[in-house]
Amino acid sequence: MNVNGLSGLNELLNELLSLLSMQHFLQNQVSIPLIQPIIDLLLSMPFVGYLVALILWKPMFALLIFPGLGTLMAVLLFIIWFERKLTARIQWRKGPVEILRQAGGVIQALADGMRYFFQEVIVHRDAHKPYFLQFPILIFIPVLLPLLFIPAGSIVGIESPYSLAIAVALISLIPVFIVAIGWASNSRYAYIGTIREAFMYFAYEIPFILAVISMILLYGTADMVEIVEKQNIPGIFLNPVAAFIFFLTTVMATSRLPFEIPEADQEIAFGPFVEYSGIMFGLVMTITYEKMYILALLMSVLFLGGGNGPDIPLLGNLSGVLWLFVKAMAIMVLLSFLRSIYARLRLDQALRLSWNTLMKISLLSLAIGIVANIAFGLGW
Amino acid sequence: MEEIVLDVPVQPPTELFLPVPKKFLEDAYKGDDYLVLVGPQHPGSGHMRIILRIKGDVIVEAIPDPGYVHRSMEKLAETRLYIQNIPLFERPAIMDTGNVTLGYVRAMEKALDVEVPERAKYIRVILAELSRIGTHLYDAGILAVFLGHTTGFMWPFALREPIVEAITRISGARITSSFIIPGGIRRDVPWNVLEFVRKTTFVLERRLKSFEKIFIKNPTVIERLKEVGVLSREEAIRFGLVGPFLRASGVEYDLRAVEPYEVYDSLNWEIPVSDEGDSYSRFLVRVEEISQSISIIRQAVNELRRIPEGKVISEDILQEYAEVASADIRGFFFRVFGELTLPLGEFTSLTEASRGTLLYSIISDGESNVPYRARVITPGWYYLKGFMEALRGERLADLQAIYGSFGYFPPEADR
Amino acid sequence: MIKIKTPKLKTLESIKLHLDALFTGAKEAIKPGTITIEYPRERRKLPDNFRGYILFSPERCKSCWQCSFVCPANAIKMELASNNRYYPSIDYAKCIFCHFCIDTCPVTALKPTKIHDVVYKDLEEMYTPTELMVKPPKIVREEEVTVEYVMDGDIILKKSKELDELFPEIEPHVEIKEHSVCIDPESCIACGICEHSCPVEAITRETIGQERHLRIDIEKCYGCGICVRSCPMHVLKLVRIREEKA
Repeated sequence: MNVNGLSGLNELLNELLSLLSMQHFLQNQVSIPLIQPIIDLLLSMPFVGYLVALILWKPMFALLIFPGLGTLMAVLLFIIWFERKLTARIQWRKGPVEILRQAGGVIQALADGMRYFFQEVIVHRDAHKPYFLQFPILIFIPVLLPLLFIPAGSIVGIESPYSLAIAVALISLIPVFIVAIGWASNSRYAYIGTIREAFMYFAYEIPFILAVISMILLYGTADMVEIVEKQNIPGIFLNPVAAFIFFLTTVMATSRLPFEIPEADQEIAFGPFVEYSGIMFGLVMTITYEKMYILALLMSVLFLGGGNGPDIPLLGNLSGVLWLFVKAMAIMVLLSFLRSIYARLRLDQALRLSWNTLMKISLLSLAIGIVANIAFGLGW
Repeated sequence: MEEIVLDVPVQPPTELFLPVPKKFLEDAYKGDDYLVLVGPQHPGSGHMRIILRIKGDVIVEAIPDPGYVHRSMEKLAETRLYIQNIPLFERPAIMDTGNVTLGYVRAMEKALDVEVPERAKYIRVILAELSRIGTHLYDAGILAVFLGHTTGFMWPFALREPIVEAITRISGARITSSFIIPGGIRRDVPWNVLEFVRKTTFVLERRLKSFEKIFIKNPTVIERLKEVGVLSREEAIRFGLVGPFLRASGVEYDLRAVEPYEVYDSLNWEIPVSDEGDSYSRFLVRVEEISQSISIIRQAVNELRRIPEGKVISEDILQEYAEVASADIRGFFFRVFGELTLPLGEFTSLTEASRGTLLYSIISDGESNVPYRARVITPGWYYLKGFMEALRGERLADLQAIYGSFGYFPPEADR
Repeated sequence: MIKIKTPKLKTLESIKLHLDALFTGAKEAIKPGTITIEYPRERRKLPDNFRGYILFSPERCKSCWQCSFVCPANAIKMELASNNRYYPSIDYAKCIFCHFCIDTCPVTALKPTKIHDVVYKDLEEMYTPTELMVKPPKIVREEEVTVEYVMDGDIILKKSKELDELFPEIEPHVEIKEHSVCIDPESCIACGICEHSCPVEAITRETIGQERHLRIDIEKCYGCGICVRSCPMHVLKLVRIREEKA
């Protein structure tokens, strides 16, 4: 190694160090005027300051707080409780109340999760043990990665001109994992459920992608940050057909009723996940809710203007976060509501619906996308 | 508690138990068929195993394996007094207590040649029709949950609550009323309870309207049930369907109209019939029966206004205790019924229970106070064959839809 | 005969039905028709004729065994008490709450209550001997509200602070006085079974010369009917005192 090379290495190291330095984090920091004094105080501390700067660094904030891990967990706990509560209300019941009675049993999902932790995880004889145990954990990769691309106001994990395409591609990976889970389970009902999942996957994926493409055509870009910026009028008014398709395919993709076909507990006893128990069941059970969260975020970015909304000065950068969160939650509530309204369709009926009707309408939405792009002059 | 150690060499079974002939299994696997054993521990099978031979997604053959909840009612009945069999026979059918007891009691009354007081007859009809509504709502709930419609499950179960409350106020027990006894009913029902029953019918009607919007006329439900599990008129007769399921295939046959018992011939009601014979019409017929039952209950309560309170147990059976026990059997139950002996012979009664024809046949040797033989054929057992035939050629997911549309209830069929 | 027609779904109708279902659901979400009773914080008001836990008053019981004879589940067992009389004991593991025993008891010694939620540690404890049947079980009443279903157009949950009375006053039924008589003295074989079975020693055998006579003391006899059922020759019968007078 010659001297030049060593100096090159030094430069690289310095550059790396400057990337990891606090100053670098502070340049791109989430500003929250409401708690700025506290943040300043924390930043002045020796070690805590570095951590706070790291967390408040926008990409890290996107990964850890919103829309990433932290919010995902909170939403999971909340939406499972809320869904039960809403369903109970419609069904003349009261829903979970006993755990933390003062707050209407809001930590019920947490309690269930803890119970799962202490339950035995049974791996039955015929299962493919490594895959059976790996996949429920590996599935978090395609679940968490798309969150990095979703912009919440100015907070975005990774900015890329292809962010929408990448997010959709990653989301499409989730069913592959579910099929793998079903295969590893090696049981009769899991087999039937997996086949149903595969059928449904093909059925909803094409209208879903067509709806997304029609929105790309409409906005003339696949960069989600740009898409949000271009939405002076929310996308749902520009292309209601695509919004409808997107919503319906979201229902299918998250196997909510009336398309709860792959799981169908009365028919095939939770389908691909029939053999799971304990915390592994807890993990696979939340997959659909996680998927629901991403798709709701994606839908609010594409159709409801993402983080756009009246600016709240006190919250600073969190204003966009708040609006995106509110919109996504509204969509999730709507999805939860469907659960108590509909019966489950049969596989062939769902397939006919999506390959026939949805396909036709999604082609229409493509045309609307192109026309709207020209009409509103959104440009390329 | 003393621990008992069993020193018996126990070998775990080396071969798997197969509820089907081995040849059937081999045949299925030689072709490209797939054998699925649904039940008995399965969320959508009830207490029965159904062996399905599936080609692709289509059921080629369905073989039932009933008997999982068999409780040998008939044999047990031979060891109990005639009167003790009343609580026994109402165990199989949840909610259908009124009809099930009525059938057994009517067979006994036929043997003893007892004329029931008119007031008791009307109250028996009220109890039977309350049970009918309760059972139909129960079945609607099961159908809904089989289709994944949880609201359709919870609402009928909530609507059963007023009915259960009414039965409690009449008899004192929520489900197993044991209220109908040979010669009448155990005690007279006070007027405020009858008024409660009448008001309950209006509540039911009101709440069933929103139930209709969310479940009965729900497009997804219609899609799931329409043209599924069709049994034509001829098939329905050949496979021996009974009750609402026979009527759904276009046969106008109701035992309450064919051989009127109690006071059914003096009340105004219609027999709902459908020609389609599919799962949806089987469901709709029962929904219509609920409104007919409501109308029957209202008429019966109105009729009761003109019959004075009091006598509800027949003098023929009370004999010497007639003047003290005719309004309330309290204190004389064993004295009247303990030594009850039926005359020699076989006595049969046919009753239109909620799910169809219910047959009781009591054989008496004429001298003992227990039946020599009691034969019970519940509607579930009658239509099991038709249920299995309806499955043939349908899709795997339709198993639950057809199951729910028949309201098949294994404890009732297995007895 | 009513002909039921299943609807044929066209697109427009289908959309209307979809909207109907969604609106019904939304309406319930906003203004629910909840009928839940939060047991045990709230307790439902039960009717007075409710069939629940059974209480026993031994001073009324005349050990006639009828309750144990009529029990369809064989839950009632007659136990020999210290005063040499038999009193019922109930095995609640078997009891099906049909209350045939209460309808049977000729002297209102068995009394129904509205208690229906008793907890036992194990199966053995469910066997309730006579001593425990005399007094009600220990009750922890957590409820603050009593709920009653009122049917007035819709199900209305009428809530009141007044606690439900668990031991309703039951109107006593008509009691008739009976006693045992020998209807066919010729057939009596003077075996003495009736004499031994009588709980109040009302029956005595007397030997006058070669003949043996059965004497029943009508004052002592209270018509339990044990001797009637134990007589191998079926010569004893219960007769009503009123008829005797006539």
